[in-house]
Amino acid sequence: MSSAIVGIGRTAYSRRSGRTTKAMAADACRGALADAGLTMAEVDGMCTFMVMDSAQPIEVAWALGRDQLAWANGMYGGGNLVADQIATAAAVIEAGICQAVLVYRSLNGRSGYRFGTIDGPMQVEGDGQFDAPSGFLVPPQWFAMWARRHQHVYGSTAEDLGHIAITERSHAERNEHALRREPLTMDEYLAGRFIAEPFRIYDCTSEVDGAVAILLASEAVARGTNKPPVWLVGSANSQSGAGWSTWDDPTEMYARSVGPVLWDRTGLRPGDMDVACMYDCFTYTVMATMEGYGFCEKGEVGSYFAKGRATYGGDVVVNPHGGLLSEGYIHGLNHHYEATLQLRGDAGVRQVPDARLALVTAGGGPFGGANIYAKDKP
Amino acid sequence: MSDALLLPPVPLPDADSEAYWESLRAGTFAISRCSACRTWMHPPLEACRRCGAPTALESVSGKGNVFSFIVVRHPAVPGHAPPYVIAVIELAEQPGLRLTGIVDADPKAVTIGAPVQATVAEIGDSGMFAPRFQLVAS
Repeated sequence: MSSAIVGIGRTAYSRRSGRTTKAMAADACRGALADAGLTMAEVDGMCTFMVMDSAQPIEVAWALGRDQLAWANGMYGGGNLVADQIATAAAVIEAGICQAVLVYRSLNGRSGYRFGTIDGPMQVEGDGQFDAPSGFLVPPQWFAMWARRHQHVYGSTAEDLGHIAITERSHAERNEHALRREPLTMDEYLAGRFIAEPFRIYDCTSEVDGAVAILLASEAVARGTNKPPVWLVGSANSQSGAGWSTWDDPTEMYARSVGPVLWDRTGLRPGDMDVACMYDCFTYTVMATMEGYGFCEKGEVGSYFAKGRATYGGDVVVNPHGGLLSEGYIHGLNHHYEATLQLRGDAGVRQVPDARLALVTAGGGPFGGANIYAKDKP
Repeated sequence: MSDALLLPPVPLPDADSEAYWESLRAGTFAISRCSACRTWMHPPLEACRRCGAPTALESVSGKGNVFSFIVVRHPAVPGHAPPYVIAVIELAEQPGLRLTGIVDADPKAVTIGAPVQATVAEIGDSGMFAPRFQLVAS
């Protein structure tokens, strides 16, 4: 691929923004434009993903003074679409339809529409209607159901999940933008209240309000921007409608099929990655996808984290910003922001030394994907 | 007096699912099955996802096993008082034929693989009915 990330922007992350998703999206997009040294006149495409909880690209473009776009795409879906969406924007650029595309995600995920809670009464349509009677309708329950199966089949433990939460929190301690920065010990993790067993509070992402924007551009545009471009090396995605009860093996996620395709497509291997921004709506998502992408064998993720292989000085630094678990749930687009900072060498006190390649994953369960970014043009 | 905010979510039937919910309302647990290749499928589909032939509901035994389960401790969804157990049940009729349901049991008594039997019960006082599951001796 020949597109690059040339600008990144974001708002503050908070529990109550007091702003519209349109205002935050526009703010984050302005940040990305300023970062790149481009103007809105040079942007001809915009896209986002959402669950009808956010402003549409044409509204945000209008707010930014752009009267029309060549491509405006609002995809319905969650974190499973992040890598897909950036890769699609790159494909749109490489097809010659656009020269620069802003990809944003803006949500009042804490003060507005919350993914983890349902306020009754409600009628549930679509495939969710069959889970309405049991109330099996929110992500913490879905992923906990899958984690239990992994524990049953592979003997993974609460402590294994705890090591993931603790490692990510230790990274967030050095990130001023993170929502949760206080140190976390295993005793505190284990004493955390249960949400849906086997998940404790620390297994769950931190819901926040905020926005992130990523500005993707053609090579021709990228050569003239302020900061060193961060190149998209390749992308692979797998989207399934199996749902949360019919997926054949919940000890595995979409990564079982995306991993081999991604490595084959890019000629790279897990061992080549300096940074891995693993989608971590829940600790178990990291566990199952680290296995799926081939960082370790099934059942070994707990010891992988416990032995320091997922932090500075180890094999690969997983979520140097603290991830969705500790930095906050900007639906995974903040992972791409962090990868860009790291590959530019702009991550400050949490810079991964000589970071040249980053894996950024998206989604969990039956659907998701990943992109690989590089400091040097592939 | 029931508090409206504590009512459970209820299904909104559509053309593919109307017969499924109607059957439950009449007290029969029945699942969508292909008229040609005989594959069971849930959620119900108008036509078989394997061969495209028409489907029809057929009664199932209600026997199955716990494939996985959670113990809900945080009241994220109204309608049930924590702690309670939601399980993915694999029905005896076909490997991989699964659906979710409440298991009426002490959370400590539920294990993966445990045999269960379905009963049909009203969802709150909604006038709609759904399968629930009880542990049975293996």
